[in-house]
Amino acid sequence: MDHRAPALDIAIPGLAFGGRQVLGELRLRLPAGHCTALLGPSGVGKSTLLRLVAGLLPLPEGAWIAAEDGAPLTGRVAWMAQQDLLLPWLRLRQNVLLGARLRGERTDVARADALIASVGLSGRETAWPSELSGGMRQRAALARTLMEQRPVVLMDEPFSAVDAPTRHRLQDLAARLLAGRTVLLVTHDPLEAMRLAHHVVMLRGAPATAEEIRVPAAPPPRDASDPAVMAAAAALLESLAAAA
Amino acid sequence: MSNEPPIPNADPRYFGLTADGWARVLAPLLVGLLALGAWEWAVRANDVPSYILPGPVEVWNTLLRDWHTLSVSLGITLQITFAALLVAAVLGLLLAVLFAQSRVVELSLFPYAVILQVTPIVAIAPLIIIWVNDVRIALLICAWIVAFFPILSNTTIGLNSADHNLLDLFRLYGATRWQVLTRLRLPTAMPFFLAGLKISGGLALIGAIVAEFVAGTGGSASGLAYRILEAGYQLQIPRMFAALLLVSATGIAIFLVMTLISHLALRSWHESAMTREKG
Repeated sequence: MDHRAPALDIAIPGLAFGGRQVLGELRLRLPAGHCTALLGPSGVGKSTLLRLVAGLLPLPEGAWIAAEDGAPLTGRVAWMAQQDLLLPWLRLRQNVLLGARLRGERTDVARADALIASVGLSGRETAWPSELSGGMRQRAALARTLMEQRPVVLMDEPFSAVDAPTRHRLQDLAARLLAGRTVLLVTHDPLEAMRLAHHVVMLRGAPATAEEIRVPAAPPPRDASDPAVMAAAAALLESLAAAA
Repeated sequence: MSNEPPIPNADPRYFGLTADGWARVLAPLLVGLLALGAWEWAVRANDVPSYILPGPVEVWNTLLRDWHTLSVSLGITLQITFAALLVAAVLGLLLAVLFAQSRVVELSLFPYAVILQVTPIVAIAPLIIIWVNDVRIALLICAWIVAFFPILSNTTIGLNSADHNLLDLFRLYGATRWQVLTRLRLPTAMPFFLAGLKISGGLALIGAIVAEFVAGTGGSASGLAYRILEAGYQLQIPRMFAALLLVSATGIAIFLVMTLISHLALRSWHESAMTREKG
């Protein structure tokens, strides 16, 4: 696999569902190896955009999503959703190994266990998902996402379902473990965006268009107590509230 | 980290059961014993002859006395019931999988499955017994018709209720259609299938009994329903009740066995079979 994460160029002339215009004309560049956060009021089409990039929705006419290196995106994208999406009938380790098992590859148990340890779940490799708390399950989902070794990672509000302190730790963990990959992070949380993202993009309006937001100068993961980060998050919250 | 997994139930246990567990066992038992006592008393106090209404003690004694004949009949009824249940489970599962693979097949065949379900088995059982030479096969078909639909319908719903996000995930992982079926849809459908099996277990027994009733004395297979008919003709009412008792006990046993199978298959992962602390 090519470990070098490509930059992604996204151009969508507009997208309509059942007669309703969801996305307006949209041009977005996800720089290589950086995390781009995507914010916007509910229903603005963030998840739709993510699903388009993942290839889960057919691209509308005239749209293109291309990696800068020219190679197709298929097979280079990992996905982490708001729900942990662990299979309840598989133990933790088997869940982390799911992708390899589906592809019929030799399963690298040592690497899976190392990843499980790196998300702080060592000793729970054979636990059923139902035996884990919500935060633990989301960490397991992060381990599974990382197990895929995909250069592009799409995250759809990955930490929104866990409590604030857990979310804080998960963000640090994700920033550390996802460094160097091209990440598109959909989130509702301005602080999360300002802590984790190199670039912050806000979708607003109907049909939605993209607007780049300035981020603090320090490289992510940024300290939540940094006044510049807090100020940027507060300003972002204000403009999100105004857009809603 | 602060997120602890759910704490297991820690209620005090008496002889292996919690207070709630004992209440669940003892309360219905007490009601049953009171009802039986009242029945026995009513029969004795009013000198009701046993060909009108035998008391529970007499029924029990008849059951013990005629156990040899009745157990042979029970064996025959059980054979038909379980054969029908097995065929219903296998065919129901296969057809549901076929439905899940092709919407056209589902749309074209499902209405006929419904027709099969709503047609009263009592009405078509005589025809089936006439058409099929082997009475056992005819009985099996009747029991199968009754038992088939819950499994088919439940499993179809189960196969179609796989989480859409999980389907997306499997797509991103490049899973084949077969893998989506075996590793996502079938495990998702398992609790639904087992719930269907639980319903169908009892229905298969009812189907077998109804078919035996229709086949009546003309049937060479002499299951429990035949014993009930025969005892009725001979005015051996206690024996009729004893056979009836066996039918009910069998139905309860089948239900318990299916519940146990379901529990064993799902206890580690499905909400319906897991013990949780009280919220």
